[in-house]
Amino acid sequence: MSAPIKHVDQETSPPIQPADPRADQRGQRTTPVGGLLSIDGTTTLGWRERWQRFPWSLLALLLITSALGLVVLYSAVGGYTGQQETSNIQYLLRQSGRFGIGLVLMFVVAFAGSERVYRRYAYLAYGISLALLVAVFLAGSISMGARRWLDVGFMRIQPSELMKVTLVLALARYYHDRAVVVGFGWRDLGIPLLLVAMPLALILKQPDLGTGITMAAVGMVVIVVAGLSWRMILLSLTLLLAALPVAWGALHDYQRQRIYTLFAPERDPLGSGYHIIQSKIAVGSGGLLGKGFMAGSQSHLDFLPERHTDFIFSVLAEEWGFVGCITLMILYMLITFRGLLIASMAHHRFGLLTAVGFITLFAFQVIINIGMVIGLLPVVGIPLPLISYGGSSLITLLFSMGLIAHVGIYSKHHGRTI
Amino acid sequence: MLEDQPKTFQVDARRRLLLLGGSVSLLFSLLGGRLFYLQLLKGGTYRDMADDNRISLQLLPASRGRIFDRDQRLLVENNPDFQLVIIPELAIQQLRKPEKGGNGLLRLLELLTPLLQLEEKEIQAILKQASRQRAFLPLTIRTHLTWEELSLIETRIHALPGVTIEAQPSRHYLMGTLASHAIGYMGEVTESDQNHFPDIDFRPGDLVGRSGVERSMEPRLRGMDGLRELEVNAYGRQVRELRRTLPHPGQDITLTLDMDLQQEAERALAESAGGTGALVLMRPNSGELLVMASQPTYDPNKFISGFLPNEWKQLIQDPSRPLTNKAIQGQYPPGSTFKMVVVLAALRLGKLSENDTVYCPGYTTRQDHRFYCWKLRGHGAISLTQAIAQSCDVFFYELADRVGIDGIHQQALRLGLGTLSGIDLEGERPGLMPSRQWKRRVHKAGWYPGETLITAIGQGYVLSTPMQLAVMVSAIANGGAVYRPFLVKPEEKNQHHPPTKGPAPLWHNHFRAEHIALVHQGMEEVVHGVMGTARTSKLEGVRMAGKTGTSQVARHRRTQSGTLLHSTNRRLKDHAMFVGYAPADKPEIAVAVIVEHGGGGGSNAAPVAKRVMDLYFAKQKGETMPPLPTSETAAPATEPADAEQSSQTTDPH
Repeated sequence: MSAPIKHVDQETSPPIQPADPRADQRGQRTTPVGGLLSIDGTTTLGWRERWQRFPWSLLALLLITSALGLVVLYSAVGGYTGQQETSNIQYLLRQSGRFGIGLVLMFVVAFAGSERVYRRYAYLAYGISLALLVAVFLAGSISMGARRWLDVGFMRIQPSELMKVTLVLALARYYHDRAVVVGFGWRDLGIPLLLVAMPLALILKQPDLGTGITMAAVGMVVIVVAGLSWRMILLSLTLLLAALPVAWGALHDYQRQRIYTLFAPERDPLGSGYHIIQSKIAVGSGGLLGKGFMAGSQSHLDFLPERHTDFIFSVLAEEWGFVGCITLMILYMLITFRGLLIASMAHHRFGLLTAVGFITLFAFQVIINIGMVIGLLPVVGIPLPLISYGGSSLITLLFSMGLIAHVGIYSKHHGRTI
Repeated sequence: MLEDQPKTFQVDARRRLLLLGGSVSLLFSLLGGRLFYLQLLKGGTYRDMADDNRISLQLLPASRGRIFDRDQRLLVENNPDFQLVIIPELAIQQLRKPEKGGNGLLRLLELLTPLLQLEEKEIQAILKQASRQRAFLPLTIRTHLTWEELSLIETRIHALPGVTIEAQPSRHYLMGTLASHAIGYMGEVTESDQNHFPDIDFRPGDLVGRSGVERSMEPRLRGMDGLRELEVNAYGRQVRELRRTLPHPGQDITLTLDMDLQQEAERALAESAGGTGALVLMRPNSGELLVMASQPTYDPNKFISGFLPNEWKQLIQDPSRPLTNKAIQGQYPPGSTFKMVVVLAALRLGKLSENDTVYCPGYTTRQDHRFYCWKLRGHGAISLTQAIAQSCDVFFYELADRVGIDGIHQQALRLGLGTLSGIDLEGERPGLMPSRQWKRRVHKAGWYPGETLITAIGQGYVLSTPMQLAVMVSAIANGGAVYRPFLVKPEEKNQHHPPTKGPAPLWHNHFRAEHIALVHQGMEEVVHGVMGTARTSKLEGVRMAGKTGTSQVARHRRTQSGTLLHSTNRRLKDHAMFVGYAPADKPEIAVAVIVEHGGGGGSNAAPVAKRVMDLYFAKQKGETMPPLPTSETAAPATEPADAEQSSQTTDPH
């Protein structure tokens, strides 16, 4: 391994002869590996090859889940007796449109450029996202008590969504470039922590606890998979527990209220406990098979809050019961494992870490959202991936799935050599 | 994988990925477990909670049974109580004024002000209430709308968006105070009412019978309320009706009372010397009550519409106790009306024969104590029938010695004294028939012979209610059968085959014919004999038998020579009593009257009985009766508007 990048740890790499000396001069890394794999960083596969290597099963799972999501959404936005049919359809069309845009984006991202295109621009993208976050901090528009959006004339963008993706890219780039040994400690933790901390601080300031927690968790998982020493993991877990009281003090009052009500929602059944109680009633009353499509009383008689966005899982649970919930959760797990499989077959560290980061992002949001809807976790504003109504999170998600697919295309594919 | 990476990293990364996958699986199964718990284990509970959320129950009140008298005249019915209800939402939507800040609800109230004479304070209260509830929920503005207000609003209803008139059934006593003790009154249900009627499922705020037939017939009169199950959304707005259970109206009840006679009895009592008292008129061969009157009366309508504070205070502090049904709750010494009991006991025990006479010097002496006859000059030698007719006390002092307290006690019980008559009303008092055991138990003392003497003339410890006296005189009239008095006609199980047989007696005394004939003869002499104590109260064209009584309230004070000193305190004046039956040869009706503090029974109680019995026989002959009062003539309501309403509602168009 003889990359021109200065800080690559030469000692840990096996001595390899460059296959193409000119590759070095172009600043590209070459990785000829004992005949098994003839692909290197410079490789750009042909369109046909990419088409064949595209992880279609992942796409199929995404499509099935989204279709289920649209069915639930149709019910969630609908009136009880169906007098609002037209607006149901409008919601459905709008969400399908967003899904379409996301899908196109996914394909573009998956098929775009060479194997190393995202690695090259990872830091740049991170920098732009961070700048946008600062801009939000300085001049963002306030909505519902939080400063999250940036008005850019024709549209509003939410830089924290962008940040989730670019943070994963930046972290992956860092560990890829460092090519650290397994079990690294402080030396290779500092900069990644900084990469996480800067946007995290800005996002918590907005405030957006949901995105903040997600980002912290994803960053942590990426660092751990990159090879953080077990001692450090143990140490940081201890530190985290010790820091909990401090974090409690830093929480906003409404955030604390949510945690209180999680553990005793009955304390305030008409106030902050209302959402949790009504959601639990909706979920529990679904029983084994549910009340049937469009027949959930909790959903359709307005007892359920935010039922087409954050609490859409309750609608599914009420109308389709335990069977519906388990079906959706199996789909989510299949997507997760398919993503982890891609990660495990990634060709290099960047691919591994990006795939792990994005799949963690996905799974974490699923777990947090369902956990809060069924009263296991405090209510933080995290939508249910692929199901909740809303554009930015869906498009971000499909964008990250595109990146996973990209990793999949440029990986060893079921023992078949490229 | 990771072919460009050192082997150690590959192995480690694979391990970490597995760990990640494992963690995700663990968390998902945690969620699955929670869903299992919520949906499968606790599913029923949450389903109930969801139903509680969405289903709102609305009561459909059942109408209470009406009450009729024996001639099927309506006594108690349910009138609609009209209420003005507004739905603020409609007013706000349709009365929005063009200028800014126009409040539709306020505008509506302004329109209503001249019609209802709304006061500024009321308007403010309504606006405040409206601001506290959701605009689509109804708001009651006024209850007890008068017909005038009702017609004013009905004619303008199209110009009053959001205004509706709702009718709530409300108990209405058409006869006002007439027979109020028999009919009874109603009040809001309490816990003790719920315990009293464990089979009825009361709701807070329900009205329940408090006395009279309203109470004793509560289970029959009360219907089963219906229920509307409505589906509502989170804001309480009705979405649809899920189910409707129709109410079961309560059963109508027919009383055995005759309102013409009842009215006459109440008037006669009110116009008597004492002004207060009770009268019971009963069929001696069945126990069927034609009259159960108690004076003074009260207006049961007041318990529905509400009392003014001082009205209520007056009612409960009145020393003549208008709320007490004196016919079954008033306990009085029976006085001389008790004497037949002693005679029958003596005859039965063979201690007296037809031709026995007793010499009455005006008094008799026992252990240096003088017991006076009411007639100080004495009756001289007096026979059994004359002793009854003239109510000679000395004769009965003599019988007391012969029979003894045990014999008297036994006979009195056999005639229904000292025990509950079993009338189909609540709150009956048992009276008191003393015995040796009773005195030992209660007074911890032995029985003195002198006490037997005063018991024999119906004084001392002995107490009876007018109802018991009516039962007693009925048993004497019919030859010994004791019936349970009743004032509610029994339910007719089969309309095509009405019961031909009357009710069976509770028990029968089986008096010997010659014994009972002697008593009958004596009682007839009371009215028709030259010396009879009630000779001034003969009926028109019908022979009556009876017995007067003067029941001593306070110990009489006498001069040295024995002359009675009359008290000037009305409260210490004797009660006037009369029991009787007519026609003497074939009794159709039996009567018991008490005029409280009326004085002598012959001159004060017997005329009351006469008035009612005369009317009974006049009615039997087919004479037309004067019209009955309606509630407003009987008891002028405090609000003339209310009275007007009720007069119109009683009119059956």
